[in-house]
Amino acid sequence: MSAHDLNGALPHEPEKATLEGRNKILGFWLFLGAETVLFGTLFSSYLALRHNIGDGPPASELFKLPTVFAATMILLTSSLMSVFAVQALHQKKVKPMIGWLVATIVLGLGFLGLEIYEFTEYIHEGHKMPTSAFSSSFYTLVGFHGAHVAFGVLWIGLLILQIMKKGLTVVTAPKIYVSAIYWHFIDVVWVFIFTVVYLMGKVG
Amino acid sequence: MSSNQSTHEETRRHREEGPKKHIVAFVLSLVLTLIAFAAVASGEINTTFTYVILVGMAIVQVFVQLSFWMHMKDRGHLFPILGIVFGAVVVFTMVIMAEYWVWW
Amino acid sequence: MTAHAHAHAHPVKRYRGLMDWLTTVDHKKIGILYLIAGALFFLVGGLEAVLIRIQLIKPMNNFVGADTFNELLTMHGTTMIFLAAMPMLFAMMNAVIPLQIGARDVAFPFLNALGFWTFFFGGLLLNISWFAGNVPDAGWTSYVPLAGPTYNAGHGVDYYVLGLQIAGIGTLLGGINFMATIINMRAPGMSFMRMPMFTWAIFITSALIVFAFPVLTVGLVALMFDRLFQANFFETTSGGSTVLWEHVFWVFGHPEVYILILPAFGIISEVVSTFSRKRLFGYSSMVFATILIAFLGFMVWAHHMFTTGLGPVANGLFSIATMLIAVPTGVKIFNWLFTLWGGSIKFTTAALFGIGFIPTFTMGGVTGVMLAAAPADYQYHDTYFVVAHFHYVIVGGLINGIFAGLFYWWPKMFGRTLNETLGKWFFWTFYIGFHLTFFVQHFLGLIGMPRRVWTYLPNQGFDTMNVVSTIGAFLMGIGTILLLINVVITSFKKKDAANDPWEDGRSLEWSIPSPPPEYNFKQIPLVRGYDAWWKEKMEGKKEMTPSEPVGPIHMPSPSILPFVMSVGLFIAGFGFMYDKLYLAIGGIAVTLICMLLRSVFDDHGFHISEEEQEKGVHA
Repeated sequence: MSAHDLNGALPHEPEKATLEGRNKILGFWLFLGAETVLFGTLFSSYLALRHNIGDGPPASELFKLPTVFAATMILLTSSLMSVFAVQALHQKKVKPMIGWLVATIVLGLGFLGLEIYEFTEYIHEGHKMPTSAFSSSFYTLVGFHGAHVAFGVLWIGLLILQIMKKGLTVVTAPKIYVSAIYWHFIDVVWVFIFTVVYLMGKVG
Repeated sequence: MSSNQSTHEETRRHREEGPKKHIVAFVLSLVLTLIAFAAVASGEINTTFTYVILVGMAIVQVFVQLSFWMHMKDRGHLFPILGIVFGAVVVFTMVIMAEYWVWW
Repeated sequence: MTAHAHAHAHPVKRYRGLMDWLTTVDHKKIGILYLIAGALFFLVGGLEAVLIRIQLIKPMNNFVGADTFNELLTMHGTTMIFLAAMPMLFAMMNAVIPLQIGARDVAFPFLNALGFWTFFFGGLLLNISWFAGNVPDAGWTSYVPLAGPTYNAGHGVDYYVLGLQIAGIGTLLGGINFMATIINMRAPGMSFMRMPMFTWAIFITSALIVFAFPVLTVGLVALMFDRLFQANFFETTSGGSTVLWEHVFWVFGHPEVYILILPAFGIISEVVSTFSRKRLFGYSSMVFATILIAFLGFMVWAHHMFTTGLGPVANGLFSIATMLIAVPTGVKIFNWLFTLWGGSIKFTTAALFGIGFIPTFTMGGVTGVMLAAAPADYQYHDTYFVVAHFHYVIVGGLINGIFAGLFYWWPKMFGRTLNETLGKWFFWTFYIGFHLTFFVQHFLGLIGMPRRVWTYLPNQGFDTMNVVSTIGAFLMGIGTILLLINVVITSFKKKDAANDPWEDGRSLEWSIPSPPPEYNFKQIPLVRGYDAWWKEKMEGKKEMTPSEPVGPIHMPSPSILPFVMSVGLFIAGFGFMYDKLYLAIGGIAVTLICMLLRSVFDDHGFHISEEEQEKGVHA
């Protein structure tokens, strides 16, 4: 056990040092392939239904660019924090790594707060789940993304606690690496959400 | 064995990247995002061209993030690349489906 | 090597009896669990089929009511595809793939167990609907608006949605697991182009699962939101689209039929090659054809929707794409024939099923090309012609393949060879029964009998053929009973199967004991070519050349968490259905807590020492 707590004894790129670690990273990438299709299906349902607003407000009136821009900046920065955490992992600097991870989830929480605020605003404006096909597919797509962010915050939070207790080992390193990949993936999905849902919705 | 490994590691560490390229990727993403938002906020560009700009910026940004932040350009990423690319192909056909064949 | 390092001195509790089966992470035992559960659901689905055929034996019959008939046909289709065929394929994947690639287990043994239990509880949830008195009755395709809240107000379709959702998690996990296993865990020397054909088929199938199942997940979520939270995905009055469901369902559904048939292709390749005692003809073209079929499989979904009215351009495109699939499939058919050509064929039961598969599946393929012609499809659509077509592909293709695989690998799984005489009786009753049942249905369809009808009027020319069809169904039932008798008799025999019971085994699984020890390979073998074991045998060797010295073997520890997690999802399913929020939250919480426990407490596994290996321990 103790051998792994010493940073010096950790191999280069500890996340890929064991077969278990390599399996985990490969399996997770395949999972992200599945997630790509999952979000793709949600996007295509939204694209098919987005013009059918029923009695609800249209997208161009509903969406507020400043809120969306703020959310985008928060998530983008959070993704940068996460890449710094992996860099600290490669340099075996545990304390800075924890710092970057904390920054990641704080920004993640900020994003979630903004999204909750945004959704409550929409509900006040009469844009609810049962309002129209547009609203249903909007909440399902953006909500699925939000749920992924929430799960990521809980997951990375749990990993921070584990690192504090167990240190950086060939068991914990792949977990950090994989969670970072997940976090970037969520940001990539958001790039398409702000483009396809918000900006295109604003254009009409 | 451990001493062996650490010298090996020493030689590799020199090749390890600094934070610079990640910051470059960040700035690039930032600029691409700003262009997209600006194209919409200005309200002066016609709809079709705005769509082209938006989709173009999004795709470039995703390439930047996948290759730099998700290490896709590194060695040993054949199956991750195949996985995401094939996923993207499936998504592409579904977008065509949504745009043209649901309300034909 | 590093795997050993952090696994010392952790005594692991080893269970016996029932607890052993509930906690196992051993791919061989999980394979047996999949087989038992799959067979159970196969019998349920078969019973439903027999009831359907009894109802249709004569015009204006009222053996079951119209409502019950709808429930029977829905549950028959759903059960057979998701709960019988797929698990039996997973049984064979689990039992064989790690052995064929020379690995000690799959990449994620824990996820493997989780996959089984989520499938099992999903299937259980679906079938509990019979006792709850709310049975899904909108067909296995669950088309809206029939399956929507307006026309299906009861809980029937909720069982379908949640049951498949939970079972689908298990399937997706399995797909990821087997892809990772085949990519990362092959023995030294086994390059991609030296993998046995069954391994290739499962690799491609797993990829299809990974990319197709999320589409079903989203479709089911949308239908569930429509039904439970008043969403409007498919509610036309609020701007939803019923055609969207058709698209989403078939973007998943078409790859799904390739998920079913590709493993059968793999099994047939192994069986035909072994029992012709010849190398598989055209190995690399087989690989390429499999990949091509999988790719095209994603581009043809709308051929299920020709009559929806997508217009001539879409219909034309999908028509051509569909016909293209006949090319790689034809390559495969001819390769099997050329493998048989000039071989010294041994007609075992497995070989009979394998060889019987070829003409039967070809017929199913040919009617498929007929259906692919969009204008003609307007005539065939929703008639018994379609029913005949997909039963030729799924029963004549997949189920024949599964039976071939079962007889072929039974000694490897259980250490006992199934009785050949009874096996041949089983083959002939089942095979003749199958053709009696479904061959006439082509003509029933062509003269206009619609599918999914409860009953029909006399004197339309349907009467005789329906009688023949029902007699055939009974013959298939008798065949299945013969198989069950065979299994029971065999289980009382001595466990005396040799390592290579067919004597002509070609791939690595035949180089180790039947059944294999817990760790499969005492020493991971070195692979020196395609048909690795055959190659060594031909050079007069009695065993594989090892690629590592003898040493302690690291094994993952058993765990009850996968079982508990699946129970959690099962409970949550009921919570969602019956609007009991505390049940839904409680069930999900159980699952999440199990995930937390799994993450926090590292699994150090345990070691099997050399002395224990000498004793040949089985868990």
